[in-house]
Amino acid sequence: MGAGSGRPAVALAAALAEAIADGAVVATGGGELSRKPVAAVRQLVTLGRRDLVLVTLLGSVDVELLLAAGLVAELHSAGVALEGLAPHYRAARQDGEPRVIEWSEGLLTAALQAASLGLDSTLWRAGTGTDLPAVNPWLREIADPHTGAPVLAVRALEPDVALLHVPAVDEQGNAYCDGDLVADAVLARAAKHVIVTYERRVEVDEPRAAISRVWIDEAFELPGGARPTGCFPDYGPDRGGLRELAT
Amino acid sequence: MIADLLTGTLAEEVVLASQKGLRVFAVTTPASLVAALAARRLGAGGLAIAGGLTALDADPVLPLEGGEEALFSRGPVQRDGATDIFTMLWRGRAGVAVVPAQLDAAGRTNLSGIGPPGRPKVALIGPRGLPDNNASPSWVWYLLAAHSPRALVERVDVVCGAIPPAGAPRALLTPAGCFDLGQGGWRARWLAPGGDELVAAVPALGVEIPDGTPVREAPSPETLAALDEVDPQGYRRAEFV
Repeated sequence: MGAGSGRPAVALAAALAEAIADGAVVATGGGELSRKPVAAVRQLVTLGRRDLVLVTLLGSVDVELLLAAGLVAELHSAGVALEGLAPHYRAARQDGEPRVIEWSEGLLTAALQAASLGLDSTLWRAGTGTDLPAVNPWLREIADPHTGAPVLAVRALEPDVALLHVPAVDEQGNAYCDGDLVADAVLARAAKHVIVTYERRVEVDEPRAAISRVWIDEAFELPGGARPTGCFPDYGPDRGGLRELAT
Repeated sequence: MIADLLTGTLAEEVVLASQKGLRVFAVTTPASLVAALAARRLGAGGLAIAGGLTALDADPVLPLEGGEEALFSRGPVQRDGATDIFTMLWRGRAGVAVVPAQLDAAGRTNLSGIGPPGRPKVALIGPRGLPDNNASPSWVWYLLAAHSPRALVERVDVVCGAIPPAGAPRALLTPAGCFDLGQGGWRARWLAPGGDELVAAVPALGVEIPDGTPVREAPSPETLAALDEVDPQGYRRAEFV
């Protein structure tokens, strides 16, 4: 992994410019108001790469910032909210532009896992009998080839880049996360390139690592990099900052 | 008080389910966390509590500001990634209390939007975990603050959670009472005081009220004491105003 030479924010900007082209599939980690890679997303907005395919299990500030900047061509998510509803997300859903692909948490996790296993698609039980296959072309209801039972064939979703924010990284590049890991471990395995920002450096304690350095390409120390979302145990969500985004 | 009645009932339900194989309870709101903590004091001592998706916490505290982070005061005891909670759902070891925007007469759920699928007049949060929960053999409790015709409908606008599999435990808790989903639809287990009128005002849900359905006014003194012990500030009440 690169230690991020020079000022971390500058190094992060360079890393994003190198890794992300127009039209790239970009995944953001965390979930809802927890550990969103907001500093990295703001840099991405400054960078101005267009027509991004944005993938996030449960979105909030990350989705709103990129939608507001007009940089998203397509969004894949199981849900997006701020403190309440997210205005740019709601507008996209209701206007049909940019395109929003609706997933469940389990289905999106399955699609990412399929990518990490080198599969074109995988099977998932939940979602049959719902309206999701009608609105999500990555899902197709089929008969299980062995038993004939209805299942969804879930097409793999492989991010070009995953942006994650965690509380701590050690000198070897292992990432530590005391709170909810959400889908970050899956994203780290599914994406072609993984960029992590973190609050602080800690001593190596490999058995406790949430994500092994095997899955991490670059890491940059950016304290506060998840604000206004929270990063347990360092800070909680900034309610005032979230309300500003919602108006 | 309806908050005590519903939160206490949820706690008692979790205790009963834990005797039938429930190992982890996924909390989604302050009241469901209070119910989980109370359940530990009422007999489900080994219950694991999941906040959000994956972190299974040894001893969470109440979220003072509703922040998910505040759940994890002592650090999780188990955390195997997003796949873990779905595995537990499929293996019948999990329970979850959910708050769908719409729930219908057959047990379908919706949190995607109001209007046709893919073309919402009013877009809501998104399907979240509803498809995964509803299809599983694990326990799902639908916890609604109002017995409202807007939320309780004959058929949801967007099917996020499909009709649950036969035999999967599904119960609805509203200010009208407690209702179980069976093959014939929803059936009252007990009613809150005035619950019959609330049920009658929402005919679309098709609730059957068998003769002799009891009226329940409050949880047992033991359950009430457990609620007050884990939630002396009464955070559970904010959910039912």
